[in-house]
Amino acid sequence: MPHRLLRFGWSRKHPEPRMFTRHDTLRPSYDVVIIGAGGHGLACAYYLARDHGIRNVAVLEKGYIGGGNTGRNTTIIRSNYLTPEGVKFYDESVRLWQDLGEDFDLNLFYSTRGHYTLAHTDAAMRTMRWRAEVNKHFGVRSEAVDAAFVKRGIPAIDMSCGGHAPILGALFHEPGAIARHDAVAWGYGRGADRRGVEIHQQTEVCGIRLEAGRVVGVETSRGPIATPRVLCAVAGFTPRILDMVGLRTPIYVHPLQAMVSEPVKPWLDPIIVSGSLHVYVSQTARGELVMGASLDPYELHQTRSTLDFVEGLSSHMLDMFPFLSEVKVNRQWAGLADMTPDFAPIMGVTPVEGFYLDSGWGTWGFKATPVCGKTMSHTVATGRNHPLIEGFTMDRFERYRLTGEKGAASVGH
Amino acid sequence: MKILVCPLNGPRPILEFAYGGEVRRSPDPDTCSDAEWSAYVFNRSGSPGLKYEWWCHIASGYWFVALRDTARDVVVATYTADRVRLGLPAPAAAQGGAP
Amino acid sequence: MMHRLDAHPDEWIDRKAEISFQFEGREYRGFGGDTISSALAAAGVPYLARSFKYHRPRHILSFANHDSNTLFQVDGVPNVRGDVTLLREGMRVSALNTFGGLTADKARILDRLGRWLPVGFYYKAFHSKRWFPRWERLFRRLTGLGTVSLDAERQTSPKRYGFCDVLVVGGGPSGLSAALQAAAAGAKVTLVEESFRLGGSGAALPEAELGEMRGLVEAVNRSSIEVCCATVAAACYADHWVALVDEKRMTKMRAKAVVLAPGVIEQPAVFRNNDLPGVMLASAARRLLLRHRVAPGRRVVMVAANWEAYLACTELKAQGVDIAAIVDLRSAETAGHEASACAAAGIEVLFGHAPYEAVAGASGAVAALDVAPLQGPGAVDVAQRRRLACDAVLMSVGWAAAANLLLQAGGSVRFSRELQQFVPSGLPAGVFAAGRLNGVYDFRSRVADGARAGSAAAMHAGCRAAAAPAGAVAAQARRPSHPFPIVDHPSAKNFVDFDEDLQVKDLEDAAQEGFDSSELLKRYSTVGMGPSQGKHSNMAALRILARYLDLEPGDLGLTTSRPMYHPVPLKLLAGRSFNAERRTPLDADHESLGAVWMPAGNWRRPEYYAVPGESRAQSIEAEVRAVREGVGLIDVGTLGKIEIYGPQAALFLDRAYAGKFSSLKAGMTRYGLMLDESGVVIDDGVVARLGPETFYFTTTTGGSATVFRELLRLNALWGLECALVNVTGHRAAFNFAGPSSREALQPLTDVDLGEEAFPFLGVRCGRLAGAPCRLMRVGFVGELGYEIHVAAGDAVTVWRALHAAGLPRGLRPFGVEAQRVLRLEKGHLIVGQDTDGLTDPFEANAAWAVNMQKPFFVGQRSLKILQARGPRQVLVGIELPDSSRRPRESHLLIDRGAIAGRITSVAHSRTLDKVIGLAMLSPELARAGGAIEIRGDHGDMIAARIVPTPFYDPSNARQRIPARVAAP
Repeated sequence: MPHRLLRFGWSRKHPEPRMFTRHDTLRPSYDVVIIGAGGHGLACAYYLARDHGIRNVAVLEKGYIGGGNTGRNTTIIRSNYLTPEGVKFYDESVRLWQDLGEDFDLNLFYSTRGHYTLAHTDAAMRTMRWRAEVNKHFGVRSEAVDAAFVKRGIPAIDMSCGGHAPILGALFHEPGAIARHDAVAWGYGRGADRRGVEIHQQTEVCGIRLEAGRVVGVETSRGPIATPRVLCAVAGFTPRILDMVGLRTPIYVHPLQAMVSEPVKPWLDPIIVSGSLHVYVSQTARGELVMGASLDPYELHQTRSTLDFVEGLSSHMLDMFPFLSEVKVNRQWAGLADMTPDFAPIMGVTPVEGFYLDSGWGTWGFKATPVCGKTMSHTVATGRNHPLIEGFTMDRFERYRLTGEKGAASVGH
Repeated sequence: MKILVCPLNGPRPILEFAYGGEVRRSPDPDTCSDAEWSAYVFNRSGSPGLKYEWWCHIASGYWFVALRDTARDVVVATYTADRVRLGLPAPAAAQGGAP
Repeated sequence: MMHRLDAHPDEWIDRKAEISFQFEGREYRGFGGDTISSALAAAGVPYLARSFKYHRPRHILSFANHDSNTLFQVDGVPNVRGDVTLLREGMRVSALNTFGGLTADKARILDRLGRWLPVGFYYKAFHSKRWFPRWERLFRRLTGLGTVSLDAERQTSPKRYGFCDVLVVGGGPSGLSAALQAAAAGAKVTLVEESFRLGGSGAALPEAELGEMRGLVEAVNRSSIEVCCATVAAACYADHWVALVDEKRMTKMRAKAVVLAPGVIEQPAVFRNNDLPGVMLASAARRLLLRHRVAPGRRVVMVAANWEAYLACTELKAQGVDIAAIVDLRSAETAGHEASACAAAGIEVLFGHAPYEAVAGASGAVAALDVAPLQGPGAVDVAQRRRLACDAVLMSVGWAAAANLLLQAGGSVRFSRELQQFVPSGLPAGVFAAGRLNGVYDFRSRVADGARAGSAAAMHAGCRAAAAPAGAVAAQARRPSHPFPIVDHPSAKNFVDFDEDLQVKDLEDAAQEGFDSSELLKRYSTVGMGPSQGKHSNMAALRILARYLDLEPGDLGLTTSRPMYHPVPLKLLAGRSFNAERRTPLDADHESLGAVWMPAGNWRRPEYYAVPGESRAQSIEAEVRAVREGVGLIDVGTLGKIEIYGPQAALFLDRAYAGKFSSLKAGMTRYGLMLDESGVVIDDGVVARLGPETFYFTTTTGGSATVFRELLRLNALWGLECALVNVTGHRAAFNFAGPSSREALQPLTDVDLGEEAFPFLGVRCGRLAGAPCRLMRVGFVGELGYEIHVAAGDAVTVWRALHAAGLPRGLRPFGVEAQRVLRLEKGHLIVGQDTDGLTDPFEANAAWAVNMQKPFFVGQRSLKILQARGPRQVLVGIELPDSSRRPRESHLLIDRGAIAGRITSVAHSRTLDKVIGLAMLSPELARAGGAIEIRGDHGDMIAARIVPTPFYDPSNARQRIPARVAAP
């Protein structure tokens, strides 16, 4: 029994304080306003307070903490990306993840499981090797492995995938991990709250006030706030916020669905992804299989579920793991993915002075939570883009300098 | 699954269609600036609302334009593809009107 | 102790069909029509399960699949719902998640550790970087319910489509009435009911109303209504697309209108030890009694807060079950008249009292209930507590709306203070609610409400003969649900969520920690996240949170309702799994020639042809040699093939492709490079001009569908006078190539193959082996050769004729791998292999295929920008001086420690006797030329040299007919 739990037995009243203070009023002004109390927004607030001494910060959330994509993703953390800028960025994130639970003094269930991206064609194997080589160049432990290796690592898998998509090999990424997604928002939230940041839930931003092309304030459902700096970290709601400052980006929003099975005893240790079958799956500490597939095919600003999604995903799950026939799907849900044409985020300063953007997170945002917090807090504090995000600026499209990440998105989009 | 009413084929399940993205007006490539051109190529109208979109009924190869509310997922009107060239009404005016 | 009573005419069991089964290794018997739970209850098994966290003994709670007390492992299948799964002969049933069996479960020690395991305890500890992996292994063993057998066979279960005018969900009085009314209006009606028979959940009804219910059931059975019992409406999707799930299959039902009459879900009272075996919902006891003739005990205490409790007591008494007392949370003023019959029968009724603590007996089941006067929400006067001896406690304190489907369908709800439940506040078009979901509890009103909904649904579905429904819906007089059937206790173990072992204080502690909204409370405490997804716990959780915040339940939102209403097995969702694969007409011939297959898009193609005695590498080499020295034959029928006709066909191609085709002469071909709007290479092919207004062109195998679709879109957009036809599947195509190809081919065709009559890059039409054909002299593999296009129906004849003609000249059929080597020797790129998602023509060394002078083409404007920007990488040829060390595709080029590019294609060329390849490389290094380094396997550095392409026959002399003619 960990000694830290003993105090619960001795105290009559529950000895735990609120993780997030409830603030009855908004102050008239803040040094920084962060729109969105998801993992990214709260991470930025945390590092602003902890590393940059900026504590007069309000994080405004129109729903509840972590209620956006932070609470809806399939919790896969990896750095096996294709481009040098991507690898460096996500590798830094993985490094931060590993100490995060101890930093927060909160168990995030960060569990390194190993991650397989299965290849069913020569072309896929080529891409896996490309990723592996770039990863290794930067010291990230990934390797292109053959079919025999896959079978040893995932003994239960049907290597023929139902007979129609035989596995030729995979990209094996040793640091691949999963974590409890909500807890990340709570950890960053509590950490920020303890350092004086104000988190205001049920507070919607309705407008952003500009004067002479710079940010001067924010209009909210609970009154106006004056501020010189606004960070937009709202994922699928980004275009609506951008409209408030008159900015246009390539971002387009499609739903991304997921589903979860009932809990069963552990049988799957690693995280499995198949680009050909459009499946990704992992088994949580609770024993549930969390499964996802491709992005929804058309734009929609709704988190509705479809039957086609579960049908297709179920079929492909049984192709890989035919013995799961009797395992039941408990629940399905969706998030809103803010997609970009080059599958890389749009971060940093913008043409509107004082308006900072953390967006374009598509289907790759959760794993980047810590490094986003670090880089965006640096960017907001100094007014200059952090070196790690220089490849992700908003103006790269105008310069035709898209990143080459499309080959790394594991599942077809 | 969701039904989409194809102007040619009538109501069909949505999986029979391919989504072609929003209808975008191209600036004149001969006279526009590089910035205007790249904005056209890459930028999108990302917020929810009424949007003109390209849709194709895959089996019949029939492309058409739908005016769809991308928040409620409701098609308000449909148009033949040549309207993109000949002119589409402003979305607010199109709502409730016949194509 | 539960026990089986004598037979009754209305029972659902068949006493003539005895069933033997095993539970936890012991033999038991039940009857046909028993479910696993009812059989175990009848057999007097003291407890059926261990709870998830504390491993407390558990028995039936809802008997309706609204809790996970009765989940079992059955014959290798995990998480079987005992309440609703029929017993079968020979079943081997065991409890879930025990360590050493149900009785001797070692993990039961956890029950004593409760005070050290508060809500969210696992977030507060176990997170040291060093120790977490070990803790996680322990957690994973402790969590997880059933066990998956890794060698179970895949089950396929074909799905079905259903179509109806009106789908009615729920076979209780309102559902039956709705179905009948809709059918009378001329609608095609399907009625689904979760239970094995119609008649609803078995709610307590007076005898007269029961008789009316039976009448409704008979009327439905006599009608043309499609009745589906033991079927769950698991989810409601857009446009009334409803997933109906039974044991064997899923039916995808398209309804024009849906009537939701799923009723309400009985809620437990919350008090200390309310989870003891023998404590169950009153409706559970009723269903057990009426359907399976199982009595809940011999001496029952009823915890009551509504009239149904009294009806149930009357029934039980009539069956010989002793009612020790009725504990009514309400005052005598409120409830007195409901109690009159029971009081008259001599049953003690304690008004204004609440259950405080259930007491276990020696067997672990309930043996007594301590009750005390209720003082306020959650508070009792403990000093006045009384102990009531009993062996069963039934709870009839209220209901929660079964609103899941309604919310999934896009409806909204509001909280009714009068009824103390959520009721519909907004319904989308075509969705109707009726009955107790709608807050209507009186029987006649439920029937009237159902009729109203059925009629409205039929009208929405377009049925004309919708008769006006008879009967009015009376305002609900009696309150069916208690506002706070929850009692605090200093020693806790008053369970709110039985799936997750959550007590009242767990929820309050979570709220105290700041998780004080419905969603946060759920995510932190996990209330409602277990297998029953909050069916028996969400209402109580909401009430507790409301009390904590000094708000009303209606001020708080509900957590989001999502599919599935009850969990659905993967096999039913997957169905038969249809994976189509495209094959060319030559598939059988390839097979007989020893083809080793590889996937190409959704086709299969021969990778190479295996020959006994040859290794794979040797076969591929031999195939390459045959093309270079004699003749080879490859099936390229998977290529996309498109015809375009019309006065503006040439203009269309000029705009859609990067090259100029309006200047192409009839009878000639030209390489076509396709770009997207941003200037990126997306496809390529060969364009042949057959006439002034007729072109025939190819696309890559993988791109054919999307390219054709995009060309259709461009045609629709530009409105040019031309039409496109996709003939990919209509035509077969071969490449017959090698120095002997011409002389082998000439006898088979009427086309003059002389160099002047049919020059390099020309196209001719004629007949080959009797079949109409198009011949093109193309340069992909770099030898004199012909790409032959015929109708698919002629493919086999033509292939065999070519094969036979080539054999004496050393013909080998060749596959994709050999073709890759041959084209590499000529330095030709493969789109998608030598180019990626960002490569423009300048980078791909394909600027020659672009005509910037045209007035407009797709990608042109972007190319101007890209030209000015300059390439980020360029495609070059490389060769390795030391061919013993061969890098692989995607190995990186390293320059001064940094990544400078990558290999995109590489092969050992026997023709040239060296290793050659293509690589993407930084422009500086490409300009410099000379030596480069490749990092190969295990980090070994391999030297290479940049060289110009083509590697083989740079002047293309081989593609022309040689001056001397080879002897036949």
